[in-house]
Amino acid sequence: MKKLLKHISPFAPDISGACSVLYETGALTVVCDAGGCAGNVCGFDEPRWLKKKSPLFSAGLRDMDAILGRDDRLIEKLTLACKQTEPVFSAIVGTPVPAVIATDYKALERKAEEKTGIPCICINTDGTKHYDEGEEKAYYILFKKFAKEGTTPKGNKKAVLGATPLAASVSDKKELQKYLKEETVFFSLGSDISQYINVGDFSHITVVSPSGIKAAQYLKEKFGISYDIDYPFIPEHILEQIKNSKRTLAIHQDVYLKGLRKRGFEGDCATFFKRVQEDTMILKEEEDLKNIAYDYDVIIGDISLKKIIPDYKGSFIDLPHFGLSGRELKNEDP
Amino acid sequence: MNKAYYITAGELAKTIEEKKPLPTELQSSKHLIYSSPATLSFNSPGAKGFGVKRAALAIPDSVMLLVAPACCGRNTALLNEIGYSERFFYLLLDDTDIVTGRHLNKIATAAAEIKEELNYTPSSLMICITCVDALLGTDMDRVCKKCFEKTGIPTVPAYMYALTRENKLPPMAGVRKSVYSLLKPQKRISTSCNILGYFSPLYDNCEIYPLLKSIGITKVGEIARCKTFEEYLSLSQANFNLVLNREARHAAQYMQENLGIPFIELTRVYSPQKIHKQYQLLGQALASPIDDSKYYEATLKKTEYFKKSHPSLTFAVGEWLNGDGFEISLTLLEMGYSVKEIYATVGDGNENIIKHIAKISPQTRVYSNLSPTMLSYRSEGDIDIALGADAAYYHSTKALEFNSETQPFGYQGINMLLDSLSEVLK
Repeated sequence: MKKLLKHISPFAPDISGACSVLYETGALTVVCDAGGCAGNVCGFDEPRWLKKKSPLFSAGLRDMDAILGRDDRLIEKLTLACKQTEPVFSAIVGTPVPAVIATDYKALERKAEEKTGIPCICINTDGTKHYDEGEEKAYYILFKKFAKEGTTPKGNKKAVLGATPLAASVSDKKELQKYLKEETVFFSLGSDISQYINVGDFSHITVVSPSGIKAAQYLKEKFGISYDIDYPFIPEHILEQIKNSKRTLAIHQDVYLKGLRKRGFEGDCATFFKRVQEDTMILKEEEDLKNIAYDYDVIIGDISLKKIIPDYKGSFIDLPHFGLSGRELKNEDP
Repeated sequence: MNKAYYITAGELAKTIEEKKPLPTELQSSKHLIYSSPATLSFNSPGAKGFGVKRAALAIPDSVMLLVAPACCGRNTALLNEIGYSERFFYLLLDDTDIVTGRHLNKIATAAAEIKEELNYTPSSLMICITCVDALLGTDMDRVCKKCFEKTGIPTVPAYMYALTRENKLPPMAGVRKSVYSLLKPQKRISTSCNILGYFSPLYDNCEIYPLLKSIGITKVGEIARCKTFEEYLSLSQANFNLVLNREARHAAQYMQENLGIPFIELTRVYSPQKIHKQYQLLGQALASPIDDSKYYEATLKKTEYFKKSHPSLTFAVGEWLNGDGFEISLTLLEMGYSVKEIYATVGDGNENIIKHIAKISPQTRVYSNLSPTMLSYRSEGDIDIALGADAAYYHSTKALEFNSETQPFGYQGINMLLDSLSEVLK
C-alpha cells in the first residue's frame, strides 16, 4: 500500500528542513504549530539544539486559534518574543495546521513586519514533504528577501550551499571544512544572515544538496555568481569501498550520489529525495527499495534501510543520512 | 529585556490572592513556547517519558498505526531505541489528504496490511491521529469500527491532539482513557483494586502495597505490570481504583460509568505529614483504618537525620521530576532549607501551595520553563543542589534529576528523595 511505512520511521519533514536553514541565521523562528512539530525539530531533527542556542519557538496554537483563524494572537506573541529576544528578523514556518485552515502567509508576513518593525519571512511548509523541499524554500526566500540588490561578484570568497545537518549528516562546519583547501562559508552551518545579505562577497558557490540548486540558480541570474553541483565531503573509507562498484547500489541525497560518481563510483544510484542526476532511481515507498535491492551485491546507504530488506544477503555499507534516520556521520566515520 | 523573566513567590501569591491575571510570561497561551533542552522530553516526549504514542502502547501486545503527516511521527525513531521498533506503523498523509480527509478511506486497508505483515495477531490496534484530524473533525469511532470489521483486531483511537492541550480532555488524559477502553464489565473481586495514573509501575518497595494488604486488598493491578492481554483484561475485576495522577481522572470516571468501578483520588506529595494525613483519609474512605505509623515514624526520623547531616542547603527546583515542583519546594522549605529558584507551571491547583511558599520564602523566584525569555537564563551560581532534570540543565552544580520511569510515591518517595540527595551530596 502506498505511503504505509511498515519498517522504518518517517523521514525528516519540510518543516525541519526550513528550520535547519534558519537555525544559525539569527532569525526568531516560529513553528506555526501546537507544539508537536517544534518538538520534533528540537528533539530530533536539529542536532545543534543541545549545543548551540537559537530562538526557535512553537506558536503554541490551540484549537480555537486554528478554527477561528486568530492570526492576531500569533502576531501578539511574536511581537512580545521579538521585544524579549531582539532578533535580526523573524521567520514563520508552516505546519499541517495552517495548511488545513489555509493561512494567508502574505498577510501574516505583512502584519508581523508592521508590528515588530523587523523583516519577516514565511515559509509555507506543511509537514507532508521531505526536508529538502523545506530547505529549498528557505534558501530561496532568504536570498530573495535579503541579498543586496545590484551587488556583483566583486569578492573572491567561496561558499557552500545546501550543507545542513539533515543533508550532510554533520552539525559542525569543521567536519566539512577539513575536506576543502581554502576557508569557505557554509550557508546554514556556522554563518548568519550577514552572509546572505553580502552575497556579493562570493565569486563561486558549490551546491552540495538538491535543496540549494534553486537558490543558486537565482543568485546566478540575479548577481552573476557561478555555481557547481558536487559533494566534496566524502569520507575516505567510502571512497575505498566504491572502487569496484559495478553491481552496487548507492542510496543518499542525489548530490552526494553525484559526488560519488565523480570520484569513481560506477554503480547505480537511488534516492528518496529530490533528483539531480537523470539516471538516479526515485524511491517513493518501502516497496520500491524491496523491488530493486536484491539485484545488487553491495548496497551503500543508511543502515536503517536494511529493515526494509531483512533477507538481503549482499553486503550493506552503512552511510548515515541524518535526514533519513536522524544519525550523524561524525561518530560513524572511522 | 534580554533577561529571563521571573516573579517572586511573594508577588505571585499576592497576584493570586487579589485574583488578578497571572503575568503574560506565566500563561503559556499568551506567549510563544520555548522547548528548551531543559524541558524537551517533558514538553514533547521522545525517548524519555511518555507521550501519547508510547503511552497508547501500554496495552500488552498492542501495535500502533500513526495516521499523520510525516512531521508528527518523525521522533518516533527514538522509541525504536527503547524496544518499540516492531510496534509502530505509519500511514503518511499528503497535502491533499490533510485538506480533504481522503486518507480516512485507507485506514482499514492499512490495518489489514499490518495484520498480514505481522507473524502474530496483536491484542489491539491503536490508531493514533493528530492535529489534522482534530481540525477535520474525524469520527474515529467509525474508523476504528471499520478496522475491527476488516481485521478482527480490537481497534482503539489515540488522540494526539496537541491543539487541545489546554482543553478539558487534554491528550495525556485522553490516552489514559483510551488504554482502559478495552476492558469489559465482569464480576468484581472485593479484595482487588487498581492503581491508575502512570504508565510505569510504582517502586516495589512503596508502602502502599503492604498498607493495602493490611486492610485486606490482596491484588493491586497496574497496567504497567500487565505482561499479557489477559492480565490487562483482569483489571476490570477491581473493586475500586486509586487515582494517583489527576490526568487519570477521566479514565477513572470512564471506568466508573462503564465498569461500575468507583475511584478515590490520592495526590503524590512529599511532606511526611501530608502523606500521613492522606493515608488516614484513605482509610476513612474505605471504612478500614490504615495504620501507617511504622512508615510515618521512620520517615520522620530519616528527615531529622538528613537535616542534621545537611543543616543548610540552597535548592533550585524544576518541574521535570517525579512530583510537583512547588509541593517539593514547600516540603524543603518546611524542612528549613532555602529554595532560591523554582521552574514550574502555575496552575493545576498549586495556587495554595504557592501562597504557603510565599509565607516562608517570599523572595523565592518563580520562572516559567516555557517562556522565550529563558533563552537568556544564566545561573548565578549560588545553588547547592539542582533538583529536577530541567534545574540540572540550568545549573552546573550538584544535581539530582529525580525523574525515573518507575514512579516514587508516599513515604517511599520522600525516603528515596532524601537517600538520593544524600548520595549526590556525598
